Amino acid sequence: MWAYEKRLQYPVNIKKKDLRMAKLLTTQYGGSNGELAAALRYLNQRYTMPDNRGKALLTDIGTEELAHVEMISTMVYQLMKGATIEEIKAAGLDPHYAEHGKGLYPTNADGVPFTVSYFATTGDALADLSEDMAAEQKARAVYENLIDLTDDSDVIGPLLWLRQREIVHFARFKELYEIYKNEYKNIEGNIK
Amino acid sequence: MFNFNELFENENTGDRVMSLYAPREGYTRGNLFPELYDAYKNYKPAMLKANDEKSKMLLELGEISFASHELNLYLDVHPNDKSMIALFNDYRRKSNQIMNEYERKFGPISIDSEALNVTPFAWEEEKWPFEGGNN
Repeated sequence: MWAYEKRLQYPVNIKKKDLRMAKLLTTQYGGSNGELAAALRYLNQRYTMPDNRGKALLTDIGTEELAHVEMISTMVYQLMKGATIEEIKAAGLDPHYAEHGKGLYPTNADGVPFTVSYFATTGDALADLSEDMAAEQKARAVYENLIDLTDDSDVIGPLLWLRQREIVHFARFKELYEIYKNEYKNIEGNIK
Repeated sequence: MFNFNELFENENTGDRVMSLYAPREGYTRGNLFPELYDAYKNYKPAMLKANDEKSKMLLELGEISFASHELNLYLDVHPNDKSMIALFNDYRRKSNQIMNEYERKFGPISIDSEALNVTPFAWEEEKWPFEGGNN
């Protein structure tokens, strides 16, 4: 089961409204390389890891990704707070407003709704961990693109921090991948 | 940054040499492991400020629980690293201590908190994290 802690993993306090940036940042909520996809990917893949190292790592990183969903959602919410209809239209968020008002909704930056086809599960630990490593690298690249697109230090701070988490997670997945590759190399069928 | 091996040299189990950032430095960077830290362009991590006792304690909780979480992920993959287990338990204890103290003074973070034994129901009394509360 899961338990909620009523705090953010890292502080988010955005003071300046910026609807353009809210629209772009949403992609790390509901886009293909976003935090929601990451959380569901790892929490879904954990069941078929070959031993408890994989089950623990995917559980714990998947859980952390839920805290990142909360951070990104908080950023989007704070960037949109107090927006007028004219500002919403000017930022191209009127299609969002038509469907969702000022509510949050997991989409990419173009407004395409989240889909589980953003991640895969093969039941093969090496294939799944390879996907997880790639996912962390892609998310890191997206964070860099997003940092390039703003000059608000209240936004850049949390994005730099989240980017660094992708680097640590990548390293852990890679370590586990190498361990499994060596240990299960000669035991046919065992890796699954 | 402190040298991990100096602290635990008597318990040297032959694990690979690894230094760690102190919890505050690691939390600021989002990475407890100097060997993994990789800055983006010339950007420096944000310097987190705490203006009152409440935000100071919350920042401290963020730092220590982050250090504990980083070692949790490390230990998932390296479950026999005795000195890392010792350090994990040290951070875990400190983190629980700070959280209990914070909840006693400023209200619940966890639904298991003793701070919930009041009326009205304290869980919804404080601002939510996305509104700037506990943040």
